Amino acid sequence: MTDQPFHAAIPRLTAERLARRAFLRRSGLMLGGVAAAPWLLAACGDDDDAGSGSPASGSPSSASGTGTVAGTGTVAISNWPFYLDADDSGDPSKGQTIPGFEAATGYDVEYDELVNDNDEWFAKYSPDLEAGNPIGLDIAVLTTWMVERLIGLGYVEELEKANIPNVANLDPSHADVAWDPGRRFSLPWASGLGGIAYNPTKTGRDITSVNDLFDPAFAGHVTVLTEMRDTLGLTMLSLGIDVTTCTLADAQAAAAKLKTATDAGQFRRATGNDYVADLITGDTWLAVAWSGDIVSAQLENPDLVWIAPDEGTMLFTDTMFIPAGAANKAGAEAWMNYVYDPAISAQIFAYSQYQSPVVGVKEEITKLDPALASNPLIFPPADVQARTFTFRTLSAEEQTEFTTLFQDVIQA
Amino acid sequence: MPTRPAGTHRGTHRGTQRADDTGGADGSGPSPRGRRSTPYLLISPGLVVLGLLFVVPLGSLLVTSLKTGSFAEGFETAVRLRNYSDALSESWEPIKRSFVFALVATVAAGAIGYPLAYVIAFRGGRYKNVLLGLVVLPFFTSFLMRTLAWKTILSDSGSITSAFDRLHLLSLFEFLHLVPDGSDRLLQTNVSVIGGLTYNFLPFMVLPIYVSLEKIDRRLVEAARDLYSGAFRAFRTVVLPLSIPGVMAGSLLTFIPAAGDFVNAELLGGPQQTMVGNRIQSRFFEQVDYPAAASLSFVLMALILIGVLLYARLLGTEELTG
Amino acid sequence: MSTIARRLAPRLLDAWAGVALLYLFTPIFVIVAFSFNDARRFNVIWQGFSLDAWRHWTDSEPLTDALTLSIKIAALSTLAATVLGSLIALALVRHRFTGSGVTNLLLVLPLTTPEVVLGSSLLSLFIDLGVSRGFWTIVAAHAMFCVSYVAVTVKARIRGFDWTLEDAAMDLGASPLRTFRTVTFPLILPGIVAAALLSFALSIDDFIITFFNSGNEQTFPLYIYSQQRRGLGPEVNVVATLILLVSFGLAVSSIFVQRFRARPGPR
Repeated sequence: MTDQPFHAAIPRLTAERLARRAFLRRSGLMLGGVAAAPWLLAACGDDDDAGSGSPASGSPSSASGTGTVAGTGTVAISNWPFYLDADDSGDPSKGQTIPGFEAATGYDVEYDELVNDNDEWFAKYSPDLEAGNPIGLDIAVLTTWMVERLIGLGYVEELEKANIPNVANLDPSHADVAWDPGRRFSLPWASGLGGIAYNPTKTGRDITSVNDLFDPAFAGHVTVLTEMRDTLGLTMLSLGIDVTTCTLADAQAAAAKLKTATDAGQFRRATGNDYVADLITGDTWLAVAWSGDIVSAQLENPDLVWIAPDEGTMLFTDTMFIPAGAANKAGAEAWMNYVYDPAISAQIFAYSQYQSPVVGVKEEITKLDPALASNPLIFPPADVQARTFTFRTLSAEEQTEFTTLFQDVIQA
Repeated sequence: MPTRPAGTHRGTHRGTQRADDTGGADGSGPSPRGRRSTPYLLISPGLVVLGLLFVVPLGSLLVTSLKTGSFAEGFETAVRLRNYSDALSESWEPIKRSFVFALVATVAAGAIGYPLAYVIAFRGGRYKNVLLGLVVLPFFTSFLMRTLAWKTILSDSGSITSAFDRLHLLSLFEFLHLVPDGSDRLLQTNVSVIGGLTYNFLPFMVLPIYVSLEKIDRRLVEAARDLYSGAFRAFRTVVLPLSIPGVMAGSLLTFIPAAGDFVNAELLGGPQQTMVGNRIQSRFFEQVDYPAAASLSFVLMALILIGVLLYARLLGTEELTG
Repeated sequence: MSTIARRLAPRLLDAWAGVALLYLFTPIFVIVAFSFNDARRFNVIWQGFSLDAWRHWTDSEPLTDALTLSIKIAALSTLAATVLGSLIALALVRHRFTGSGVTNLLLVLPLTTPEVVLGSSLLSLFIDLGVSRGFWTIVAAHAMFCVSYVAVTVKARIRGFDWTLEDAAMDLGASPLRTFRTVTFPLILPGIVAAALLSFALSIDDFIITFFNSGNEQTFPLYIYSQQRRGLGPEVNVVATLILLVSFGLAVSSIFVQRFRARPGPR
């Protein structure tokens, strides 16, 4: 049991979690008889803010075999920043996709970009998910390893594929994954690469290797990500370790390298998406960075560059799922269906410049802008693909071990 | 402005002096009035709120701090005193650092704030209220915006940093361990975090000192000036001692929140500036380790309490609850 | 002390105070200046002068929603805190009773507890009770710490109150309730108003306690915190400047009102 990856343990864990959830709900109601009242009031009060906490929102009025599903109500979506087309001020609700979806289906979208770190999201919502309370979201987008964990804990609703006919457009490489066979619970939103963004005018030279992050000449002007798989993964690659088969000893070696650097004051900060602002001001010269973010950064500071290091780059996929207790499941599925249309997908990824999981995007993007068809961020060239690696799947115990090891190192 | 009651210089007291009535110069309190239950009726709604939302949560925190287990397995109620020693040993560096930062910030706030309060109280004249208003006005903008503004001001390419560099102040800071060796920056260093703490809690230092300076009878100061050879001596022997309650209140109101702060360290600091508040926050919101977070909170409170008691013993006043 | 030093010392003091005030206002200048920055998403480097943010700051829905929420929460918690706190202050100053010492202590304790502890203990309670964190938990948290501030402020303000006025009114035949309504209350009202303003300001700007207990809700400070990670536009600077101007206006008008009321003349 201890070494099995999560997916095998899904049925057993789900059963346990459901039992515990029911117990907690009962005992919570007993103890919180009076205290629950404010919560009920909050659910009522939230109607004004159109959160999906109230059950009245969201009812499909029709379901056709193909195309869009019309309906009413609100769809509350929480995603990472820089992932959806937006207007000049960065407001996605004023881009093209959200208004297009609202017009096509009649749903109202409440989109926020509040996901900054997987562990933070988990810590924020797990008490409510564990207690069986709705969290006010219809769709959330987190990285695969976290979604795997949530599925194992029973916090995810099963998808009604009949409502998502466009799932046929899903790229075969994503169609069947070990941790969600048949993609019953989740669908990918975007893939990206963890590499290095830097400012050539500050570094004074080209950056090509992960070891450049550890160059003492840049001490105090380097940031790393709090995302363990990206930072620790790149460090392991710099030590010549194969991240697809790495052991705890390998992780410790990489952690030691990071710790030496942290103690020497090499790293200015460990960040989520907030490395972008520091790159723009020039306080940070090199950052472990996610590929598509560089586009938003370059709008403010055109000097900035993103590279996939020689030793390799870490592939990640951020995945959509419907949290348990979502009020508007039909609306969520309509959204998933909408964004899996190749034309819409092209629109989204022409902006975010991450990698789309939808087949046929290349043709559509060429229609929008032929130059984008050869954009290395959206369609990585063969040499980058050859050195793209995915961190191997970790069991629950390993996840805790690796994470603790990593966090102790990046926080003094 | 409170009016001086007519009975100020009368020797009679209405009822016995209560500890919390010593602030005013008058000796008379209100005559006992109403039913005996009136005060209890008056205080009960507020006390119920404080009880439910301050005392009970602390109890809940205490229970949580003693639990065992993890999120995955579930937290079980227990009495695991080791949580406290674990919290203390794991987070000793941030704890030490928080107290040092808070102490330096308090001293700096006092150094900046006392002369400011003195000038307003003794040399402000007609403009006292205006000056006080100016002191308080910046704090009507958002605390976060002010801290982020410091981030812009102290940016590496900003004028402050380059000025400090040229004036060799950075080398001085290096010597004092305020910035890392060989560094060319002010942000993500001890100095930026301490600076942020000093700035954000300055009014908490200035206002209590001002209040206690304002209360000093000017005739005492004049008399002292006549008796002693100079203004400075008069200040040292009369004004300073009388302002101690204000200094004490201001120091506590600065030190305690500063020790528990995590925003300044997060926005202006780096991994080397992690404070206790950051640890507590990360235990709650990243590692989902509630017992560790709760026990660390109690360790922080206990240490603060010890510090405050030592401080009170040192200065020897009972004005804490005044 | 030499004459030169005697002359110099006050000037030096004044200069020091002036520098201190300048120090206090430096971030304010930056905030106001950057509200005029020609930036759209990230407002971290100066890119040119523009009035766009001032013209369009209401366009950003998350911003206006957060601001509205903060004002709502502040209004509710201030109402609760002012009523409860003033009652406690009144009781403590007007009456002697056993338990006044404990009450005093209970009032002061939240002021001397770090916000991290206040916030995390409330979070711990809400998790234990299974209470979902949102609007009402924030209001409750704010009301809690504001009660202390209100009580301490009102207590300090009404200490100098001339209680003989009450006696005079009663001697003239007024009932206790009437005395309170027509004599006591109007005179202690300024203190209560000051405490209410303080409570409102504290609630609008509260970050740490709210951070721990907000659930999905975004108050104005929380909006700033989460937004600065991915680009805080100049509209926020506009709002901060507006808040500053409104506060400045209120302060100035209150000074004028005071001067007007204090003017000698026929009443």
